[in-house]
Amino acid sequence: MMVIFFDKLKKYLSRALLYLVLTVVSAVSILPFLWVILSSLKPHDELYSKHLTFLPHHYTLHNYTQMVQRMVGFGLYYRNSVLVSVGTVVLTLFVGSLAAYALARFRFRGAQALFLIFLGTMMVPGEVGLIGQYELLSAYKLLNTLTGLTLSYTAFNLALTVFVMYSVFQAVPQELLDAARVDGCSWWETFWQIMIPLGASGLAAAGTLVFLAAWNEFIFALTMNNWTDEARTLPVGIQLLQGQWQHWDYGVLFASVMLSFLPVIILFLFLQKYFMRGLTAGAVKG
Amino acid sequence: MSATGEKLSGRRRGFTLDSPYVFVLPALILFGMFSLYPILRSLYLSFFDYNFLRPEQMHFVGLGNYREMLHDERVMSWPGIITPQGHLAWWQIPLYPFLVLWLTINSPGGAFWNTIRFTLMFVPPAVVLPLFLAVMVDKAGRLSGLFRTLNFVPVVVSVAVTSIIWMWIYHPDYGVVNTALRDLGVKREFDWLSDPKLAMPAVVAMCVWGAMGFNMLLYLVGLQRIPVEVQEAARVDGATGWQVFWGVTLPLLRPTVFLVGLLALIGALKVFTQMFIMTGGGPGDSTLSMVLYLYNIAFRYGRFRFGYASALAWALALFIFVVSLISFRISRERE
Repeated sequence: MMVIFFDKLKKYLSRALLYLVLTVVSAVSILPFLWVILSSLKPHDELYSKHLTFLPHHYTLHNYTQMVQRMVGFGLYYRNSVLVSVGTVVLTLFVGSLAAYALARFRFRGAQALFLIFLGTMMVPGEVGLIGQYELLSAYKLLNTLTGLTLSYTAFNLALTVFVMYSVFQAVPQELLDAARVDGCSWWETFWQIMIPLGASGLAAAGTLVFLAAWNEFIFALTMNNWTDEARTLPVGIQLLQGQWQHWDYGVLFASVMLSFLPVIILFLFLQKYFMRGLTAGAVKG
Repeated sequence: MSATGEKLSGRRRGFTLDSPYVFVLPALILFGMFSLYPILRSLYLSFFDYNFLRPEQMHFVGLGNYREMLHDERVMSWPGIITPQGHLAWWQIPLYPFLVLWLTINSPGGAFWNTIRFTLMFVPPAVVLPLFLAVMVDKAGRLSGLFRTLNFVPVVVSVAVTSIIWMWIYHPDYGVVNTALRDLGVKREFDWLSDPKLAMPAVVAMCVWGAMGFNMLLYLVGLQRIPVEVQEAARVDGATGWQVFWGVTLPLLRPTVFLVGLLALIGALKVFTQMFIMTGGGPGDSTLSMVLYLYNIAFRYGRFRFGYASALAWALALFIFVVSLISFRISRERE
């Protein structure tokens, strides 16, 4: 009797310990974000307190109204980030899956060489191309433009998208393609009518991955679009605002930072499945 | 109507848009122009003395830039082995080797050494901690999904944004760390990001925090590939939880551990954003990384030395390549 009792007790205790440790670790992961959200709702005297306050004693939206009124640029950076990220996703998925389609379903001369070039370039750290890229964009008058950044991001994410979509398209049964050909579909029509619908979940996985990469990218955005505000994206813009406002008003900064990460976190919570699949596929391949 | 139809089909027979070459062409053009070309161009430029603002003065210097790098104090200087100064407490004596190791790793040097010491501080916790986290999340049953999601949140937020948040966490007056320490009664004030002894560990701590979720996910994928029967068989044979972990799970997980380690290593050697935002490479050059230095050489110091910066970039790429190759060799031999 006693032995069974102790065994059960041990089991419960180890279970409780497991959840305790997991709760603490998870708290460490998300507390910084919670702290920013809560701090953005605090009045000034609580923000500039030398003692730890987690929950605000008084809630205020003052920081947000101040931000809207005084923080010039934030809206523009936001818009730029959305445009570049969405543009990159659309372009990468289209161009990448088209190439993956050709590589997965056709035998043609040069296919192997193409694969090797993609693979080889993936091995080289992207930062190596920073200087060449700057020169290139400068030559084509694409510095400080959203187009330039979108094209660069598309190129960076292309190899990965091709690899993800390649394995998706290879899994499509040949009979479907044959049937479509018999019905008189061109290869181009087959791509749109069969491959794209069947590869939808793969596209979603690759798409979320590309979106995340474009939305968060820093060093190229910093280098290529840093002369004017026009095409500056959010990560670089936030860093700039931090430099300008840190001696003036932390509340406004908390508000802007909170607005910059909240949409991505919410998006992630909804598209979790694809995020995870895309990221693991990407990491294992890369 | 029929005439145009014929015309179209006639054109199709000659040059058709319906071919794999046409399908790969856009990708090839984009990739070639914006990915491959810049990399090769950087390699080419690394053999030239080249100021972007004065292209007419560009001239070939062979390996001159690489030679300059080897003599550049800000890249190559190394503090040497640091031993503890003064009298040691009794409990410190058995820890002496670790003390020397820590003091050495925590001593600033040139950009190359700083990158190495960042890597040495970052990789071990970034490989080990998420492993334990993943094993625990895997065991959490119904709540496993929730814990996985919570720990993954930092991964989806831009490093630029998390760096800024951590600057505030480390703020000497109002930051969470210092206010909490103050409330706990600690008298000493820490200036985390401005103290040459604290800046690098502070940045590393933030990076480990940021890497936890992603590495955890990789481990979880690896753990799912291990058949449940194997672990259960060991259980039936009377192994305890720890014995199953060390004897069965970990050996089967070795490929994943290697993958996580390699990705952490490569990522660490390329570190830039965290330092650029949180410390700017300072105080002094104590957190100046290779990528940060080459960025500064190319775009910050006002001289647009694209040749030298390209050489720094390619030297780093070669170093990463060699280190990866060695890691592959070692993991092969183990198997």
